Amino acid sequence: MKLNTYFLFVVVIASVLFSLSAKGEDLLVSIVEPYVDFRTGPASEYPIFHVAEQGESITILKKKTGWYKAITHKGQEGWVSAEQLGKTLKPNGEQLYVPTGSFEDYTNRTFEVSAFGGLLESVNALSVAAAWNVTGNLIAEATYTQALGDFSENKLWSIRLQHHTFPEWKVSPYLTIGAGGINTRPRSNLVQSGDEIRKSDFYEVGAGLRYYFARNTVLKLEYRSIIALTDRDDQERIEEFKLGFSVFF
Amino acid sequence: MKFNKNVVLSAVAILNIVLFNGSAFAQGSLVKGAFTKKAANPMQENTEQPPALIDPNIERRDISESDIDTEDIEIGIFGGFISIEDFESSEVVGVSLAYHINENLFLEARYAQATAGQTSFEKLSGGAPFLTDDERDYTYYNLSLGYNINGETFFTDNLVFNSDFYFTLGAGSTNFGGDERFTVSAGAGYRLLLTDFWALKVDVRDHVFTSDIIGVEKDVHNLAITLGTTFFF
Repeated sequence: MKLNTYFLFVVVIASVLFSLSAKGEDLLVSIVEPYVDFRTGPASEYPIFHVAEQGESITILKKKTGWYKAITHKGQEGWVSAEQLGKTLKPNGEQLYVPTGSFEDYTNRTFEVSAFGGLLESVNALSVAAAWNVTGNLIAEATYTQALGDFSENKLWSIRLQHHTFPEWKVSPYLTIGAGGINTRPRSNLVQSGDEIRKSDFYEVGAGLRYYFARNTVLKLEYRSIIALTDRDDQERIEEFKLGFSVFF
Repeated sequence: MKFNKNVVLSAVAILNIVLFNGSAFAQGSLVKGAFTKKAANPMQENTEQPPALIDPNIERRDISESDIDTEDIEIGIFGGFISIEDFESSEVVGVSLAYHINENLFLEARYAQATAGQTSFEKLSGGAPFLTDDERDYTYYNLSLGYNINGETFFTDNLVFNSDFYFTLGAGSTNFGGDERFTVSAGAGYRLLLTDFWALKVDVRDHVFTSDIIGVEKDVHNLAITLGTTFFF
């Protein structure tokens, strides 16, 4: 089997990312609540095998989703929930801040990654988007959509701005405006050679509804109207509906 | 690539907003966040909680929450076999990148490639290949949502590893026979965590798409069985 260059590129990028992930320093916290549960794994399903008591200090080693691996003075290692760890104190007496993926954490997010499934003019479409929360009201976003239909393969990218008028609402409407490009290639069984790829620029406007669903996840429903600036005399109008979800950092 | 002037201008404008205002706002919100955190519990700190005992002789390093090593991203490679409907079974290799949203849910992107074999017709008739060599390259990618059923695996009384069984459902695309097709994938797998950050995985996944490569249009099922290793960071 021959490996293509794209594949190798992905592997190289992946290994660079992996080597860049720096090890954090250990943080010592003291317990002020009556006790803290130590579990054997990073999930609430795992059994509690140890309890650290009030007044004890524990060292935080690492974090995996909403769970923190901690070690006691006596060397007991286990996983503590973010909820319990959020009630411990740092060496300077301040309460430890742990993100729990709450709605408040969402409003303070910096980045957001979304995935959507939808219909682009009655063709199944798959979209991904990366967004940067600029002010809370204004969000800059880059999107990529792929719609593979029976007659053509369409690939769209765009850069756009979202405006959330009421970001503090759990169900919040927003408007989008942006610009991008579309590549359309007819199916290979419909044309003789592969030179029929059409490229056009487009402008888009749209509206959406965002709903903070649960810990770390947000649901989104979106509509956008695309005006493609084609080489032909008339411009083409494309509509897209999509439903998806986002995770945030 | 030909760009419309207006599109380029608006893209540059948006990029400007992001680059120059974005970082300033982001810093602003960080500082604001730190202050509101401090101000949130002034009463509690004064009344309920005794001041932490601090040994004045020890110089304390200032370590904050952001220094905690987070391991929510899982990156890995896998290899195995894929049965490509009508075109024999082939070896497949790929890469995966996953983000663990919480203890149960994760998002995973996969990219893999294989080379398809010959149909029985091509073999029996002894000529007239359906596809060129390039068209036999089978590549696919997908984005899936997974659900972990957390557990532990006991090899012996003392040899215990955390593990999970998971289901995935996703969508993506398959590039095969000169066309790219919208592909739905579903599967299940088992992840054995040898350490907190190193895991072994077994995956079974079906990839379904509509194909007319052999003349009639039909839904094809391409089942992949792979073994992989992943690292969390």
